[in-house]
Amino acid sequence: MKRLSVFVLTLIFLDLALPVDSQAIPAFARKYGQNCNMCHVAFTKLNDYGQRFRDNGYQVAGQEGKESNVIGIAPPLSLRLVLGYSAYINDVASTSGFGLYGFDLLAAGVLHKNVSFLLIYTPRIDSPASQYFGDSGASQIGSLESVSLVFSNLVNTALNIRVGRFEPGYHVFSSKRSFYLFEPYEIYTFTTRNNSYVFDDNQIGIEATGHYPIGFKYALGVVNGNGANPDNNVNKDIYLNVVQTFGKGDGQTAGQRIGAFGYLGWQPLDLPGTVISPTGETNGGDNKSFYRIGGTASFNLRTLNLQVLYMMGSDDKALNSLDSTKNYEYSGGFAELDYAGLLNNRLVASVLYNWITPPSYDSERQMMAYSALLRCYTGDWTAVNVAFHVEFTHRETGKDVKYKENMIGLALDFGF
Amino acid sequence: MRDLKFLFPFLLLLIPVLSYPQDQPATPITTVDVHSIGPQKLGYLPPIIAPPNNPQSAAKIQLGKMLYFDTRLSKDNTISCATCHDPSMGWSDAGPTSSGIDKQKGGRRAPPVSNAAYCPLQFWDGRAPTLEEQAKGPIQNPIEMGNTHEVMIRTVNDIPGYVAKFEDVFGTPTITVDMVADAIAAFERTVVTTDSPFDRYVKGADQALTPLEKKGLEIFNGKGHCTACHWSAHFSDGRFHNLGVTPTDPAKPDEGRYAITNNPADRGAFKTPTIRDVALRPPYMHNGSEKTLEDVVDLYDRGGRVGDPNLDPLIVPLGLTKNEKKALVAFMTRAMTSLNPEVADVKPIPASDFPK
Repeated sequence: MKRLSVFVLTLIFLDLALPVDSQAIPAFARKYGQNCNMCHVAFTKLNDYGQRFRDNGYQVAGQEGKESNVIGIAPPLSLRLVLGYSAYINDVASTSGFGLYGFDLLAAGVLHKNVSFLLIYTPRIDSPASQYFGDSGASQIGSLESVSLVFSNLVNTALNIRVGRFEPGYHVFSSKRSFYLFEPYEIYTFTTRNNSYVFDDNQIGIEATGHYPIGFKYALGVVNGNGANPDNNVNKDIYLNVVQTFGKGDGQTAGQRIGAFGYLGWQPLDLPGTVISPTGETNGGDNKSFYRIGGTASFNLRTLNLQVLYMMGSDDKALNSLDSTKNYEYSGGFAELDYAGLLNNRLVASVLYNWITPPSYDSERQMMAYSALLRCYTGDWTAVNVAFHVEFTHRETGKDVKYKENMIGLALDFGF
Repeated sequence: MRDLKFLFPFLLLLIPVLSYPQDQPATPITTVDVHSIGPQKLGYLPPIIAPPNNPQSAAKIQLGKMLYFDTRLSKDNTISCATCHDPSMGWSDAGPTSSGIDKQKGGRRAPPVSNAAYCPLQFWDGRAPTLEEQAKGPIQNPIEMGNTHEVMIRTVNDIPGYVAKFEDVFGTPTITVDMVADAIAAFERTVVTTDSPFDRYVKGADQALTPLEKKGLEIFNGKGHCTACHWSAHFSDGRFHNLGVTPTDPAKPDEGRYAITNNPADRGAFKTPTIRDVALRPPYMHNGSEKTLEDVVDLYDRGGRVGDPNLDPLIVPLGLTKNEKKALVAFMTRAMTSLNPEVADVKPIPASDFPK
């Protein structure tokens, strides 16, 4: 039994340890003839300039309508490939091997002044071939990680609309643009029982965002709340994120930034089990609420950046299969310290601390993890870049009996 | 492998990306609308294309050169174009701002004439669409040459040597303001600096730049964010930005481009100057408020001036290290300084050689 649980935990760990889909869009760099560090501290983490570029619908801030659209440039296609070698050791077993840890195909660009798009296609490369074409119905061979249209500057910079499947605006510290390839932010992927919502998922819906010269930003969204799957109830989830930057910059590499976010969602207890809509939605009933709230902060000192996130989550007691008399309440977060140095930030070093504190009756899921990484970038290439990446994570799960795991990954992170 | 067949269509999609011509010759900047296209890659300058209504000729260029150096175009015969756009000072002057007749001080630094032909708009605020229009301006500016076009034309028409040369170039003995401007512009279109270590480097001479200068170029096009505005072969977007430059008179700041467009977004915005030959013409910025290139880099590194309400959103603190700043300055100092003898050796025409 113990072997089985170790095996299951190992699988879970490896599944979580697989890189999240990451974003760096070299097609933009090709378009502008600039190197990656124009927009990135070092790819994939955005600097202030890149953040403004993204906030402005993939247009250079203040230069809207003064650049070529996708018709006038090379096809705006990019790919991201992460391959390498990883080793995993837990209390009773170890394993290692080469891996293809991530592959994204990206297209993005400006269609017209203040109208842009982003598309990320992620082929499934990590499952048995039988799952691609098997007769069990699992025929999905990839996923549209993101596909969205952005209508920018509808009311100056105060209103921008994004529709489609996108990364919700409460992700001020995006796991998709984090330096960490193997071990993202644990609290983002912590799921509760009977609830299909995953904080880290891209969601389908509509989002309004705005940014102001005083350094204030907001994101307000309405989404299905269950990733790319068809909706399963008539209630829609809503969220709000606000941040305020102090000093110059956007808090990415300059200035100091604090923020707060909240997400209110609904999860059906009564799932009819049959598809009732031609487009796949079901009319799940007996919807129960859950929420996630938290705060963020980003502090910069010269070449150092400290990012902190604290989050609390609560699911209605009806969703709590462990103790139906109480809401399932948990908290967690992370603190990450990044350093970028050498010429043009050719070297990145980072340490990361993750923690999750579930309710006492679910203490087996209590978790803390330490991670560290080094990334070295190879050259001054416009819109092509290769980073050598080494990342280590030590994780302990459980309260009274701790389950310890170590993972080290070496990777080539290639963006074109 | 059979199961990876689904990747083939995407690999096919990459073909147009890979086959896109990366090294195609740059389109002559004077023939494209810089205001509707986006940033272009750094590179070597394309040939100047003269406008159809003012074709180049050797005689016109020589005439324009004489006019450029001739102080008789000014009200009191003391100021010529070259007074403020001195070939020996990077085609600008000692600054920080320029002196006109009666030693009056202007509010802005003299923009360089070298490579001005590549600018889609002239003057710091872009109020002149062509070199020809630009050439007319200072003549009747009360604190520059202080003349009027009418008086200047009478003066030139009273000089038989000029009358003969204008007749030779334009086919008529009656000199007009447009002719004067056309000739000066024709000369200015020859003041182009196409041969710098950077140009040699991008043409394939890897040793043309030192290792430090190569690092500077990388910073210039990356972490330094310089190519956010200083893009294209001209190292300028030809657009207007408020960089948070310290105003000469804080109580009455120069409104820059706003005075021309009345667009609040243009308040305090000035045209991006070229980086070519930048080391030859300190001090810097539209008002000469930054003495050295090191000061300029420091200004950008700080993210402009604190409290500027109309700071361009392109301006953010950069977090440059001391070595990165050093590399940037090295790149801008030697690598961007031209080696064109035909431009560097232009000498003022002595008064004794002016048409009589």
